[in-house]
Amino acid sequence: MIFLRRQLPLLITLVTGLLFAAQYYVPHPASEQMLTSATKWLQIVGGFALILGVTSLFHQHAVKIRRQEAGWGYSLVLYVGMLGTIAVGLWTNGKESVEGTMTAFGWIYNYMMVPLQGTMFAILAFFIASAAYRSFRAKSREAAVLLVAAVIVMMGRVPLGEYLIPLSGDVSSWILNVLNSSVRRAILIGVSLGAVALSFKIIFGVERSYLGGGKE
Amino acid sequence: MTLSERMLKIDRRIIFLMIGLCTLLPLLYPVGLPIKISSEVRGVYDHIESMPEGSVFLLSIDFDPASKPELYPQAIALLRHAFKKNLRVITMTLWVSGTGMADQLVTQVAKETGKENGTDYTFLGWSPGGQAVIINMGQDLYSAYPSDYRGKSTKELPILEGVRSLKDVGYMVSLGAGRPGVEEWYVFGKDKYKFEMGGGCTGVMAPGLYPLLRSGQINGLIGGLRGAAEYENLIGQKGKAVAGMDAQSATHLAIIALVIMCNLFYFSLRQQRDG
Repeated sequence: MIFLRRQLPLLITLVTGLLFAAQYYVPHPASEQMLTSATKWLQIVGGFALILGVTSLFHQHAVKIRRQEAGWGYSLVLYVGMLGTIAVGLWTNGKESVEGTMTAFGWIYNYMMVPLQGTMFAILAFFIASAAYRSFRAKSREAAVLLVAAVIVMMGRVPLGEYLIPLSGDVSSWILNVLNSSVRRAILIGVSLGAVALSFKIIFGVERSYLGGGKE
Repeated sequence: MTLSERMLKIDRRIIFLMIGLCTLLPLLYPVGLPIKISSEVRGVYDHIESMPEGSVFLLSIDFDPASKPELYPQAIALLRHAFKKNLRVITMTLWVSGTGMADQLVTQVAKETGKENGTDYTFLGWSPGGQAVIINMGQDLYSAYPSDYRGKSTKELPILEGVRSLKDVGYMVSLGAGRPGVEEWYVFGKDKYKFEMGGGCTGVMAPGLYPLLRSGQINGLIGGLRGAAEYENLIGQKGKAVAGMDAQSATHLAIIALVIMCNLFYFSLRQQRDG
């Protein structure tokens, strides 16, 4: 059992990790064919992961409803919403419209999901404005620099700002292209080196937390 | 309680009302201030403009309805430009929740420009796997998408004649609101399969993509509603993005005014306490 739970996954990780890292540099047809097959598997596994995610979500909220925990009513709404959408989706074959006519699934998508998601995103503007008023204060030199940069970029990114202060557009562009790019690039390089190091640790079995913490 | 203290603890509903009015009034009474075209947006426009008729253009609509106000106008402007240039347009999405919206968007612009599905354009729909779909399309497009969104076999679509993988794509633009999006298309697509690529994203994401732009990994970037407005101006078809720029101008200035006010009250309060 230890072999199946520990050694076999480590072996699969080692072999596939090395194989696919090397594959990138080998343009031979056999190597390309292997990549084609593997990515097709990945797509299929991705499909099953979706089922796993939905099942896990259902289980989590079923427990909440059964125990009548705080906010269980929202879990019930989630259940009704998801089951209703799945049922309607299966009934209409997952099509939003058939020959130009909107189906029930299309109605749910267009008149429920689209406005709900749009509303969630739109109210962000109000909260950002309120949060900026409450917390965007020049309490230190660093905060003052951040504040000045933010004001310049905000001015330079809208026509009215450019109209009032013509230089703001160019200064904003310089901040984004030079200061922002160089800092972001440094962060990206750091993150990428970290990802390479972590990948090596996983491939060679040094990092094993992905195997879970079950008893051996 | 002093004035500064009272002002710093202002009811947030007043701020909400201010932002609401700054959004609504310019939409009702547009001013139409001139919009300067940036080199980032021009990069995408110029590349599409330089493509010969019949070239393959791939547009990946990688966003959901939450980002519709910013990215939908970008997609409309890009599709109008591509159809005007008579390019072969392949569209798809990596975001399952954006599938219906993407289909409506493509169908709407195609209808407006008199283009035919399967011959002038196709919508491949969504396929599970995120970045795996990109690699799979790079290896074999027909394996990643055996059929289009309408269920027609991709091998039989006239528009895909001679297109076997991403290597056959002339230009690709990903309009991304997160992951998978522009970065994934570069890392898993362009880097390996060597096609030219541009990007589009929400305003908050744009600064994060500048390193890709500056290093030439993407040849252009349409950032947020401003980017969409610039593109609409470039193609000479003003739409929702240009209309929304006045509202964005007013809200940006309102937020700047709020930040300046809050700092003035903060320093006045500090002075009072120190004194």
